Amino acid sequence: MQSRLKAVLSALASIPSKFDAIVVGAGPAGSAAAYTLAKEGFKTLLIDRGRGGGEKELFGGRVYAQPLRDIWPELDKEAPIQRWVTRERISFVKDNEAVTVEFKSPKGKSFTALLPQLTSWMARKAEQAGALYVNEVTVDEIIFKDGRAVGVRSGSDTVEADVIIDAEGVNRLLLERAGLVERIKPDNVALGVKEILRTGSTQLEASFGIDSDEGAAWVAIGDITKGVPGGGFIYTNKDTVSMGIVLHLKHAIDAIEAGKLNQHVSELVEGFRLHPYFRRLWRDATISEYGAHLTIEGGLKFSPKRLAYPGLLVVGDAAGLLLTTGINYRGVDFAAYSGKLAAEAIKYAMDHGGFTYDNLRVYDAYIRGSFVYTELQRHLGVEMVMNDPAIFAKLPNIAIGLFKELYEQDYATPTPFEALTSVLSNEGLDLFKLLSLSLSTVMSL
Amino acid sequence: MSAQQAKQEEPKPIKLEDILQSDVWNVDEEPHIVVDYSKCEKCPTKPCIYLCPAGCYTLAGDRVVFSYEGCVECGTCRVICPMDAIAWNYPKNGHGIIYRFT
Repeated sequence: MQSRLKAVLSALASIPSKFDAIVVGAGPAGSAAAYTLAKEGFKTLLIDRGRGGGEKELFGGRVYAQPLRDIWPELDKEAPIQRWVTRERISFVKDNEAVTVEFKSPKGKSFTALLPQLTSWMARKAEQAGALYVNEVTVDEIIFKDGRAVGVRSGSDTVEADVIIDAEGVNRLLLERAGLVERIKPDNVALGVKEILRTGSTQLEASFGIDSDEGAAWVAIGDITKGVPGGGFIYTNKDTVSMGIVLHLKHAIDAIEAGKLNQHVSELVEGFRLHPYFRRLWRDATISEYGAHLTIEGGLKFSPKRLAYPGLLVVGDAAGLLLTTGINYRGVDFAAYSGKLAAEAIKYAMDHGGFTYDNLRVYDAYIRGSFVYTELQRHLGVEMVMNDPAIFAKLPNIAIGLFKELYEQDYATPTPFEALTSVLSNEGLDLFKLLSLSLSTVMSL
Repeated sequence: MSAQQAKQEEPKPIKLEDILQSDVWNVDEEPHIVVDYSKCEKCPTKPCIYLCPAGCYTLAGDRVVFSYEGCVECGTCRVICPMDAIAWNYPKNGHGIIYRFT
């Protein structure tokens, strides 16, 4: 029997008999919602199944800062930032050959972080603003009465509120149990597997070629994932490296069925860690942690039909609000911003006569009017292109083939035009086909 | 540099079970995932064997064997299982994986 929720609440001297809002999940979305609500004076209960230190949090490793500053202007000074990203690298990899492009940006727009640390900071912010933060409580069910969410249940304990915010994350069991979403399909998610490699800051800066106030974000595309759409990722922390792979699950299943993928997924990560081109980045490092998390592909296709229901608002990953382009992953800032918007919708409802569905559903309009929705909509096509196995396989071949033609010479030196046409013919393409492939790619963007 | 030194610098593969030694769990007595093995027997592809990142699903002969203790709570098995054989729950009240650096 789970009696922890009631035990914690009854141990407190003064708790309200009923909360204005209950937020389920203290990830970026839930903590941002609870923080914004508490700041507005709402009696807010923030519940998490971890032990209070962000224990259930795992992501690639990079956060875009600006949307978070809209919630916490003190972010740059206070948040547990590992490194500001000043170098963006992308590598196309095939066997032991690689083409790498680097963009050196003068100023960090994004930073690397350890998500347990960052979300602990966010939850503490909510707590300082006045939210009641209860951890080690797993919510089993959202309670509905006459079609309206009225509370949550953990084991035999229940607690009620005017509004429930579902910030439970990508697996969204509670929404599924409530019949609001269907079972997750492999088409709409990718598996991210991650290792934390401890290198020490001196070795890390030397091997990545960065200064002590710099950070690198690096994406690798090619046979690292054995032709399955996805890729490798690398982010530099202070004295550790976050690295791993992302594997589109539908294509991974197809590859297993076709006999093209017959390795355990951890061996793909190992292949990346031991890859002759990349291993120098973390030579002699020890593994500090290993974990995995699902990441959303084609965000809006994963979204429930509505994000507002009577008494219930859905935020963050559970709402499908994560952007993937194959090069960028934006989850933390999108999630947190949706949490802020949900809190603002609750404020709107209170200012307009109460927490009726007619008032609460302004949240759907807030989301549609925000960068979160417009960015997800704008990138639907990109995700389709990057998840096409045929296009995905050709990209590294074209990039590497072109540089091979240009640089590997004995007597003859090809003109750039000769190099390009030779590479294209190897890929069964000609300039016309490349043009139409590019056009169809561009049209879908 | 001697040949021996060069050899030492060659990075070595690490077994998944050794990698998982770096992780911390607060293991519950009750499993949060229950597998209906009768369905696994009819499963032609068994993608869980390859795709569960923690290696919780292994083969004993041609039978699937599952253990929940080392689960990293990603949810992959539930999504990919073609037989709908997996009942998956969040571990109860503070149990399960304890991520620190991820």
